[in-house]
Amino acid sequence: MGRTLKLSGQAIALALVAGLLGLLVWKLTHQSHPPTIGGPAPAFSLKRIDGGGTVDLASLRGKPVVLNFWASWCVPCKSEAAALEAAYRRYRSQGVVFLGIDYHDVTGDARTFLSRHGVTYTTLQDGSGMVGDRYGLTGVPETYFVDRRGRLVGFHIEGPITDSKLAAEFEQGVEAALSS
Amino acid sequence: MIVRLAAALVAALALAAPAAAACTHPRTSLSYLEGQIMCPTCHTTLDQSDSPAALRIEAEISKRIAQCWTAQQIEAELVQNFGAGILAAPPRKGFDLLAWWLPIAGVVLGAALLGLGVWRWSRGRDGPAPPPEESGLDAESERRLDEALARFE
Repeated sequence: MGRTLKLSGQAIALALVAGLLGLLVWKLTHQSHPPTIGGPAPAFSLKRIDGGGTVDLASLRGKPVVLNFWASWCVPCKSEAAALEAAYRRYRSQGVVFLGIDYHDVTGDARTFLSRHGVTYTTLQDGSGMVGDRYGLTGVPETYFVDRRGRLVGFHIEGPITDSKLAAEFEQGVEAALSS
Repeated sequence: MIVRLAAALVAALALAAPAAAACTHPRTSLSYLEGQIMCPTCHTTLDQSDSPAALRIEAEISKRIAQCWTAQQIEAELVQNFGAGILAAPPRKGFDLLAWWLPIAGVVLGAALLGLGVWRWSRGRDGPAPPPEESGLDAESERRLDEALARFE
């Protein structure tokens, strides 16, 4: 009886340790790593902020895409909003798709922001920040470029594109997405 | 003059009546919800954060409190907006219930194992004395050991 109890206790302890180790391994293997330029753009499907359904990145295969992560509470995002809208108007005739991804934001605030800054390109909601985390965001605004084959190209811009250096990188990024 | 006073009184009543009637339950408070809601960018509760995102969420909560929303309604709206991770504690339903019950089960199991161990230990102490252990030496070796020990006494 005592021996059986002892063995059962040891088996339970071993099972618990094995379970915890399993959790650790799962966590380590499922950790999100920032994507690399040249590699595939992490997939996502997000709701449009205007309530008009969802957008799946995979459905845009064949088109160059500019992904801009932003939030209404982010001060630099306000400064780059007009520049992004102007770029969208400039490049949309060449088939470039602009997607704004509203990161960790109150939806009402985001809608007010879009209206106030006259943003007309599609904006998606990433309230939980899951997609932003998948892209390895360290803050907002950040911009990525996706080519027709669904690969990240050009630069990963961390900061507002109104900055002169980042503005040049933005133009090169769009061109890279267009040309590859 | 009397007409003006009457008009002011009517206007005050007209403004006060909806405000009083709007809230039929005790209002929740910002300070309560600040401890229940996480700041999504800094991963602390709102009351420990001054980040821009946290301040915007606090403003949203204040707006809803002014509109007489209950704490549950406000939390539900925030979960819809930010996902369940916005709540400081997991919901008490479905799979998340495990997060509430597992620690309790762990404490109960630990207490049970401890109790069992103490019980077995106390029984071992009260039981009959174990028989003297065999030395493992043959008779000749034991005799020589006794002689050797006797020389030291």
